[in-house]
Amino acid sequence: DDEVCVRQKVSEPDPEEVASFEQELRAVVQESMEQRKLELRGRPALNMVIPINVFEGSTKDHLGKGVVGESGDEALDEEAGGSKEVQVKVLVKRGSKQQTKHMYIPRDSSLVQSTKQKEAAELEE
Amino acid sequence: EETGDDDGYEFGKGEFTEHACKYCGVSNPACVVRCNVSSCRKWFCNSRGNTSGSHIVNHLVRAKHKEVCLHKDSPLGETILECYNCGCRNVFLLGFISAKTESVVVLLCREPCLSVNALKDMNWDLSQWCPLIDDRCFLQWLVKIPSEQEQLRARQISAQQINKVEELWKTNPDATLEDLEKPGVDDEPQPVVLKYEDAYQYQNVFAPLIKLEADYDKMMKESQSKDNVTVRWDIGLNKKRIAYFVFPKEDNELRLVPGDELRLRYSGDAAHPAWQSVGHVIKLTAQEEVALELRANQGVPVDVNHGLSVDFVWKSTSFDRMQTAMKTFAVDDTSVSGYIYHHLLGHEVEIQLVRNTLPRRFGAPGLPELNASQVFAVKSVLQKPISLIQGPPGTGKTVTSAAIVYHMAKQGQGQVLVCAPSNVAVDQLAEKISATGLKVVRLCAKSREAVSSPVEHLTLHYQVRHLDTSEKSELHKLQQLKDEQGELSSSDEKKYKALKRATEREITQSADVICCTCVGAGDPRLSNFRFRQVLIDESTQSTEPECLIPLVLGAKQIILVGDHCQLGPVIMCKKAARAGLAQSLFERLVMLGVKPIRLQVQYRMHPSLSEFPSNSFYEGTLQNGVTINERLSSGIDFPWPVPNRPMFFYVQMGQEEISASGTSYLNRTEAANVEKIVTTFLRSGVVPSQIGVITPYEGQRAYIVNYMSRNGALRQQLYKEIEVASVDSFQGREKDYIILSCVRSNEHQGIGFLNDPRRLNVALTRARYGIVILGNPKVLSKPLLWNGLLTHYKEHECLVEGPLNNLKQSMVQFQKPKKIYN
Ligand SMILES: [Zn+2]
Ligand SMILES: [Zn+2]
Ligand SMILES: [Zn+2]
Repeated sequence: DDEVCVRQKVSEPDPEEVASFEQELRAVVQESMEQRKLELRGRPALNMVIPINVFEGSTKDHLGKGVVGESGDEALDEEAGGSKEVQVKVLVKRGSKQQTKHMYIPRDSSLVQSTKQKEAAELEE
Repeated sequence: EETGDDDGYEFGKGEFTEHACKYCGVSNPACVVRCNVSSCRKWFCNSRGNTSGSHIVNHLVRAKHKEVCLHKDSPLGETILECYNCGCRNVFLLGFISAKTESVVVLLCREPCLSVNALKDMNWDLSQWCPLIDDRCFLQWLVKIPSEQEQLRARQISAQQINKVEELWKTNPDATLEDLEKPGVDDEPQPVVLKYEDAYQYQNVFAPLIKLEADYDKMMKESQSKDNVTVRWDIGLNKKRIAYFVFPKEDNELRLVPGDELRLRYSGDAAHPAWQSVGHVIKLTAQEEVALELRANQGVPVDVNHGLSVDFVWKSTSFDRMQTAMKTFAVDDTSVSGYIYHHLLGHEVEIQLVRNTLPRRFGAPGLPELNASQVFAVKSVLQKPISLIQGPPGTGKTVTSAAIVYHMAKQGQGQVLVCAPSNVAVDQLAEKISATGLKVVRLCAKSREAVSSPVEHLTLHYQVRHLDTSEKSELHKLQQLKDEQGELSSSDEKKYKALKRATEREITQSADVICCTCVGAGDPRLSNFRFRQVLIDESTQSTEPECLIPLVLGAKQIILVGDHCQLGPVIMCKKAARAGLAQSLFERLVMLGVKPIRLQVQYRMHPSLSEFPSNSFYEGTLQNGVTINERLSSGIDFPWPVPNRPMFFYVQMGQEEISASGTSYLNRTEAANVEKIVTTFLRSGVVPSQIGVITPYEGQRAYIVNYMSRNGALRQQLYKEIEVASVDSFQGREKDYIILSCVRSNEHQGIGFLNDPRRLNVALTRARYGIVILGNPKVLSKPLLWNGLLTHYKEHECLVEGPLNNLKQSMVQFQKPKKIYN
């Protein structure tokens, strides 16, 4: 209960700093892209198969619906802010092994939006 | 003043957690990532602070580092971010995509994987690739942005500082932001300021000043070695060997105090091997003889009495504890409440009130009735998270403080911590608080346990020894054995220590109030204690970092008691003093607009004596709680020029001289007249303990002591019993009669020490019944304040000259006053 109201002027970053930083950031991205193009001649092999167990037994495992986490704890969704966020599974690789992790992302993120639209469209069909 | 032994204890607090943002210190695992470049591996948070990009993005761009790893406690666990398809780890190329129909997402690099045609035919929706770095910040749902409170309490780092420290890291990856601020060896240190951006800036300013003072203190004390010391040996009640010797006080500022550590050495002769032992000063006799309790009894050359040497053993403990407190203040956000944190740094915060039910009466059992201003002080303090109480001389600070502590302890918010910079003040407070019926533990430094104390029964070490329960019998047995033999076998010693520590903890935990010096609050025996309510008395006599030690144990409500119109902390190093280390936290808070609550009724001085100090230092607000009749010196036949006004300024024209040491002053005429006044007092029936002679100069102090014992008209012993001391060492104390010798008397040089109004205030407010000031009005009348004092005495016909038995009004001319600041 350590609430404190500090009246501190929020120092806006200096516009010059913003501009120069943005420029530097873009340069790093550009440089990274070019470096990649040089590094990789030819296309890499595709290795993007979604492991089947991700879908297994989870028909209700669609975006925005109640999700049972790995712990089986159904309250998770509510704790994270109820309807503002949705749970997703993130696939990561540990060496060559695939792993699934749960995460919450905001419902209004573009990543969710597109899938939801499609989902809705599918439902209508 | 305090030395302790912090060895053998773990200090967990005050350390940076490894994963704290290297820029700002935020350490919430959900908000930080580690740069994965092997030569770097630094952690950064995802907050922007005052810059356009978040800290992690700033670092990656500036350092041209491109890989990161998530924290093990983050939702994804310890994970290096990489492309799910090709393993590319360049975060500037990575982004998330989701499966077309499922709630599954993966990281995919923009080049080349996002443009692989075959992917489009699979389950993945490539149209909504969502870059990992968006708007110069990591995706907020992957790496959280620290809360506003967390950000406000973090280091406020600027883009310029980021650029500088990144430059520094290229050559020295272990450099810290503090390295940016480090002054060169010969540079003047950064001065203190009124407001600080954050606790890091605060630490940047104060840490070097404390270091300067510590270095100076060390140099001073270690240069005090004395050879050819004559010793007599004794054995204490605890069977420990005690050495008595005279440690001549040079004409400098160093004074030994009980608890100081000294090393006694003997270089050996045909019959004795070389020997040395360390011990603690347990007593200083009136004859300036030192009693040193030795740590080890073995091999002491007790049949040798001459030719020993003494060195001062300097300990950094108190300075270390100040540094630790500042660090804790910065990195541990539970060290003090947010309100106190921001307030101490001078940030503007909405006023908060403490929600407490107020007691019906504000006095406390065992204490005198409180007066109106004391009641007001207690009442206001209980409702505020930060309060200042100003206690002018004789206004009952201690009683008021004790009443406050009593009510805080009764609120049931846990134990109350009560501190003061000096042991004397802590003892006085502990006694008063204990009188209210609260359970008090007085924690002393280990090195002072052998030093006698007026509140011995309250001290932790006494309580441990006298705890009367059967489970403690093992400890008692070992204690007895130790007392008898002086030492224990190593296994017994181990057992003894463990038992003692457990008992100490038990007693300390069951107390309502813990009392110790400010430095003592950093004692390892308190490191696991938390105190929400802290009261610091005499806080205007401690430096800010010293004050911070008791505060960073979890304070939510703090009360600083003191008087910024009296003398502040003593700083030996001029450089540190010039930079502002001598300014107390109390004073800075006053300058920041915290209004001190002033106690207004004084119970010490004869009303004639309080008039000038009240008008000159307290805007005339000081009221008298004593009447003229209560301060009549009945039966004392002393030649006061105005019988109802026991005060006079005795005009002296003798020259000042530089003392033998070359660093101080003396004035022979004044000294001779001091003796005459003292003799007159003694003849009229005043006893030596009622008289105090004060003077700002050590040279004059030594000269007066010497002069009186050689030339005093009465028995020598009487003069020896009279306390002759500096103004500074008299602060906080009183005598019935005060004789003030001003010393300075020269054509052009000014009045030095006397120029400080706070010193004059202290000098004028020590006497209860009467005061005599000796000085040269021609010289003293130049500063405005002194001119006012002389005018005040003149107007009341108390400016006099001539022989003591025939005093006459002086017609000496004053100089035109000038406002002088030192
Ligand atoms: Zn790095
Ligand atoms: Zn940061
Ligand atoms: Zn890739």
